[in-house]
Amino acid sequence: MMLSALGVIGAILMAGAAPQSKTRTAPPPPPFQGVYQPQGVDEIGLWKVDDENESKLSNSRAVIHDEALTAYVKNVLCSAVGNDRCNSVRVYIVREPSFNATMSPNGTMRVFSGLLLRVRSEAELAAVLGHEFGHFERRHTLERFKAQRRGTDLLSWAAVLSSFNNNPYARRSFDDLELSVYGSLLRFNRDNEREADLVGLGYLNVSALRPQAAARVWQNLMAETEASAVAKGMKRPRFDRVAYFASHPPEGERAAYLGALALPEAADRPDGADRYRQAMGPWTPVFLKDQIGLNDFGGSEYLINSLASDGWTSTLWFHRGELFRARGGQRDLVHAADFYSQAIALDPLYADAYRGLGLAMIKTARPTEGRAALARYLELKPEADDRAMIELTTASLN
Amino acid sequence: MKTLMGLGAAALLAMACAPSAAGQERTAVKQGFDLRSQSGKRVLVFKPKVSVGSQSTGAMFEPNAEWTEQAKRNIEAALTEHQASLGNTVVEAPDASGEKALLVEEYVNLFDAVSQAVVNYQFFVGNRLPTKKRDNKTGVFEWSLGEGVRDLPGADTADYALFIYNKDAYGSTGRKLLQIAALLGPGIAVKSGEHKGAAGLVDLRTGDLLWLNADFAMGGDVREADGAQKRVRQLLEGFPGSVADQQTASAQ
Amino acid sequence: MNMQIVRFSLAAALLTAAPILEMASANDFRERGKAAKLSASAVSITPPRDWNKLDIRPGKFAETWTLDGEQLNDVTFYTGVEPGAPLVKERNKKRKPLPKFGAETLLVEVPELLEGTYRAYKEIGEFRLTGSKPGSYLGVKGVEFTYDYTDGDQIRRQGEAHAAIIGGKLYMATYDAPKIHFFQRNIADYRALISTAKIM
Repeated sequence: MMLSALGVIGAILMAGAAPQSKTRTAPPPPPFQGVYQPQGVDEIGLWKVDDENESKLSNSRAVIHDEALTAYVKNVLCSAVGNDRCNSVRVYIVREPSFNATMSPNGTMRVFSGLLLRVRSEAELAAVLGHEFGHFERRHTLERFKAQRRGTDLLSWAAVLSSFNNNPYARRSFDDLELSVYGSLLRFNRDNEREADLVGLGYLNVSALRPQAAARVWQNLMAETEASAVAKGMKRPRFDRVAYFASHPPEGERAAYLGALALPEAADRPDGADRYRQAMGPWTPVFLKDQIGLNDFGGSEYLINSLASDGWTSTLWFHRGELFRARGGQRDLVHAADFYSQAIALDPLYADAYRGLGLAMIKTARPTEGRAALARYLELKPEADDRAMIELTTASLN
Repeated sequence: MKTLMGLGAAALLAMACAPSAAGQERTAVKQGFDLRSQSGKRVLVFKPKVSVGSQSTGAMFEPNAEWTEQAKRNIEAALTEHQASLGNTVVEAPDASGEKALLVEEYVNLFDAVSQAVVNYQFFVGNRLPTKKRDNKTGVFEWSLGEGVRDLPGADTADYALFIYNKDAYGSTGRKLLQIAALLGPGIAVKSGEHKGAAGLVDLRTGDLLWLNADFAMGGDVREADGAQKRVRQLLEGFPGSVADQQTASAQ
Repeated sequence: MNMQIVRFSLAAALLTAAPILEMASANDFRERGKAAKLSASAVSITPPRDWNKLDIRPGKFAETWTLDGEQLNDVTFYTGVEPGAPLVKERNKKRKPLPKFGAETLLVEVPELLEGTYRAYKEIGEFRLTGSKPGSYLGVKGVEFTYDYTDGDQIRRQGEAHAAIIGGKLYMATYDAPKIHFFQRNIADYRALISTAKIM
């Protein structure tokens, strides 16, 4: 079962309207029922395909085969749902920069690297993985599969019917229908999402981690989605059916609802943010680079700033510089030069930051400083694989 | 750049499957390759990728485990039988782990890519690459996975590797209705059900594709034992060294 | 499952609805020794061996040549990309914009532009620039670089590219092929092909 950004946000919106939940915290999970067996044509079919997919996945180059990282993520899951339940899960870290985690019916959990970049503590990660596990325990995949089948059936008909009509508006109205089918899937999903939220927070409440972290994940995600849309200059009316949440304030009824599900007395439990940062250490720059590669300026800028709330590091400054230099407007380049300088101030041996700095300066009419920065880059990284190109660049400044 | 065009190419592929079998070739043998019947070759088989289910109106693949299991059993049995009748021994590829397993998976994916290219750009006449047109005139069939196949687990114990790919989706009633509606409209092709199959024999020393039979519009209901046998016959149609196939083909 | 499956099956639904007209047009022959113009530009190529030009083009400034199919060996020519334009056609200008070539883009940054385009278009993380050095393209000083990545079909591909900026416009040729076998097999064909490129 995949946790999609939209699905979750949609669910939270709806969850805000769930009056019965405001009054009590999420109940502890029921005793573990043991290993579950699939029933019925659809479900047995899904499991079978799942087994095949898992064996393919385990040999896939898309998976980050880092034992320590995988074990760490699995441990966080276990600390949320308990060892009994945890044993029915195999965790795979997938190198894909989107916010996603999935739990498929046979117990395959895929954790996308984009999720690892976005959550900032063990408690936040546990909240997401617990939510996913909740889908698994309640077998939501099957229900959703059936709902999607209905939705895509409708879209096929629409594609054929709109083809009869040879004008651009037919195409437009097909797009609109596409949005509204997504919308209705989200509406269908919201009950599942609400249930998974409830189950997920139930695990967290009885764990050693801070359950209040759950609300933060979604608040951050909404803020990121909004930042991304704003930077793209997207008109809200066109996206209102899917993206109306983007205009919501980050604090509101939803937060109250998720907050209410969390045990109040658990609020000062540790969230494991330091351990989390430590465990992600070598991977953070890799995942940041992947994120920046998506060319989602607003989203990336939001993420970098949000990571920096624990303090700016040279890595964060550097990637912010890369982000601005890639967009490449004149103002962007001036900012980029500043960010690279900040990175260098924290780490004077940061070779790649000198490279970015040099290029940004050259493009903003500061060739002398630019040349010096590039020279420093080559000094710090004599084996740089673009050495000759950099030399050519500086030579052409004369 | 392939993948930047992924969708476009896939669309074309989808189109390529839509027309009837007319104008579509299905099988080819590398020039000069001759596998005599009863020559006792050892054929390494990588676990066939088989998945069977139905296709909803929206073309979503609905997996069906029972069908898949049945089809797999049927296909494996029919395969062993077929090869035995030719005097060849089927060797199951050993289980691999770590880097070796990644390698097997990569070759399986590469085989899929190659067979799709063959179907798309050589077998499908309307879309044939001009260079392949010329090649075809002189009966040239030159495709290879490269000499690296020697590193595949089990490669040292066999002469050839047989790669098999099979995907079946049976059109649901909704899909069939959609197909009928689409016939009335301008320029839309909707196919009901999807029956793709490819089998290829690869020389384990050179990596050359010695024989390929690929059909993305196959017959034979693999959910039934008879149908599966028919499918295997179809998949292995024209397999070098088989005489019976000629009769089967002409009987159809 | 959920959103991803929805999108996937949507794509599937739309695939089957692709206009049939596309089918009628065939891929073009690029015969050995005969000069051919690229994308209605002033660039011409005289292939040293027979090639095919695919009918489907990745974008306004681009066209793809192949020997065996774009999944096995893909030479894409980007010809005269103007400042402010992406290398290939954006699937969704608004929601999924691609990086743009700019008037300020330096030659040394062209590899990053290709990397950014691949990453954003394919939404992949697994992409690595493996080296760049001064080279020439169209008889002009330019950049030559290499890269590798894993594509959506789970096949690792390797790439080599040559680019030059002429009159403020970007000219580039890329060669992408599976790391296993195919890249090595046709790299010499690619190099021989692009060495015949001339701008009139």
